[in-house]
Amino acid sequence: MVSSTKKPAFMRTAVVLSVLLLPPVTAGQPSGSGQLTTAQSAELVLGESTVCENVLNGNPEKTAVAFSVRLKRVYCYTDFSTVPEKSFAYHNWYLRDKLKASVKLTVQPPRWSTYSSIQVRDADKGPWRIEITDEEGNVLKTLRFSVID
Amino acid sequence: MTSLTHFFANIRWQDVLDIVLNSYVVFRFYILFRGTNVLRVLFGLACIWFVQRLAVSLGLIVSSWISQEITAAAALIVVVIFRNEIRGVLQTKNIRGILWELPKRSTTTPIEVIADSAFKMARKHIGALIVVPGREDLEEIVQHGLKWQGTISSEMIVSIFWPDNPVHDGAAVVRGDRIREVGCILPLSVRKDLPSNYGTRHRAALGLAETSDALVIVVSEESGAVAIAKDSRITRIQDPSTLEKHLKEHAGQRFRSRSDLMNEKIELGLAVFLSAVFTLGIWFSITRGLDTLASFEVPVEYRNRDPAQQIVDTSANTVKLQLSGSRSLLDAINPNQVRVRVDLSKATTGSNSYTITREDITLPPGVILKDVQPPAVDVDLDITAQKELPVQADFVGKLPDNRILAQVRLTPPSVTVIGASGFLDKLSTIYTEKISVANFESSGAIEVGLTINPAKLTLAAGNRDTVTVYYTIQKRTSPSE
Repeated sequence: MVSSTKKPAFMRTAVVLSVLLLPPVTAGQPSGSGQLTTAQSAELVLGESTVCENVLNGNPEKTAVAFSVRLKRVYCYTDFSTVPEKSFAYHNWYLRDKLKASVKLTVQPPRWSTYSSIQVRDADKGPWRIEITDEEGNVLKTLRFSVID
Repeated sequence: MTSLTHFFANIRWQDVLDIVLNSYVVFRFYILFRGTNVLRVLFGLACIWFVQRLAVSLGLIVSSWISQEITAAAALIVVVIFRNEIRGVLQTKNIRGILWELPKRSTTTPIEVIADSAFKMARKHIGALIVVPGREDLEEIVQHGLKWQGTISSEMIVSIFWPDNPVHDGAAVVRGDRIREVGCILPLSVRKDLPSNYGTRHRAALGLAETSDALVIVVSEESGAVAIAKDSRITRIQDPSTLEKHLKEHAGQRFRSRSDLMNEKIELGLAVFLSAVFTLGIWFSITRGLDTLASFEVPVEYRNRDPAQQIVDTSANTVKLQLSGSRSLLDAINPNQVRVRVDLSKATTGSNSYTITREDITLPPGVILKDVQPPAVDVDLDITAQKELPVQADFVGKLPDNRILAQVRLTPPSVTVIGASGFLDKLSTIYTEKISVANFESSGAIEVGLTINPAKLTLAAGNRDTVTVYYTIQKRTSPSE
């Protein structure tokens, strides 16, 4: 929020993002070295992903495809079911076809949930999409939603 | 002198052809209508037109306005007043006679037979009235009698005017070698200076001669005298040979001497010369009268593009042409006559620059190009490609209270579009038209159109321009902010 007026739009949006690295969802998850070796040879696999009004205790709340601008914040939750090694994922937020924010998220093996959020204002109303990519820029999934009145 | 040099330096072959063609038309007009009133009236109108030009150049407002109005109505005046003469020329001439033949000085009318018959009837005191038409049409002057269509012979003429014949009191109209009509009634002259021995026949003969170029032969029943009426005059004829001479003159078969032939050649030569001068004057007046500069904003037509390519962008869609010519020519220009066409047949994908040359510009004759702005145009071309793009719903408005738009599904979820390759590379989504969510109380479906810029994109064959949006509404478990 600080000094956002002197920065380009992309940066202004980026600075209002908050990123929370959730602890690994380990309950019931195998973590042996054999699995780890297998996981390391595999690619990053995206499990659940959604856009929601909030993330509470590591879980998405009120998933939807249209969000009122009065909510002030929209969240993108992603759960990577397979993380072979520590790496990064990106949440790229587009309003129409214009990139508004790109958030780098660290993901840890063997499984990792994380989210990013964006603050929305009147000027941000319209159709949005979020491209979830891996380190190499491969698009793992595209989520679409609208910001409305 | 300078302007004359300039004229010969700049004249084109089209101008020469134009002048020659129109001079010929004027000359033919003279040939066809000489001897009639049409030519005299046309000459009068030409004088009025000249006065009008003079009045305009001198700044005489009322005179120029009046003469302009008269010349504007001239075509109508000529056609209405001289319809009979025009019809006469068109009816009596074939296309060859109208276009290039000089009028032949011959007639098929058996003049000797008519002359002999007139004097034969005179000797027997049989009254007769024979009309030999000239160039003018008598359709509306002569009151029609009976159609006859008989080949002329002395016996037939005498029998027509025989006192016991029911049509003997009317006039017989001759055309070629036939008597076309008999029992015709002619208009009577109202002159008061006619001799007392002239009866109704003489008045009728003179009446027609006054109103047309016809020659009328009158045979007096009382005196047995033969007379001819022509050009408002009535002349007593003493013998058949004099009558023959008058009839031949009327038919254009004068016994011409060498000097007559020479005079005719001089007349025709003068007519050719004056026609050329007249046309040249009009041509100068129209094309070189007042040199004016005018600017025209003209759309650029990009032609011969490779069908596999698309125009992505151009630096200019119109160019401003500065044209020079006479005011009348520039005022008469219509948009279809001025065109700027850029040939894209050698264009390559990417940016192409074209200088607009004289060959790219079409102008009407007599108009000169002075300047083109901008002098060059840039054209960006790209190859045409097709791409499948996902469709996204564009929701707007405010959802009803305590409702969540939980899910949406579009059918079809994507469409294939065709457009410039570079443009498609930057495009990742096709959006629907705006969908108001204000009435989304419960789940449902809605049919909406797609927002596609038709100038840049088209839907590939088999794709609909609408999608069905299925939406799922859920109730909030706790009130929203």
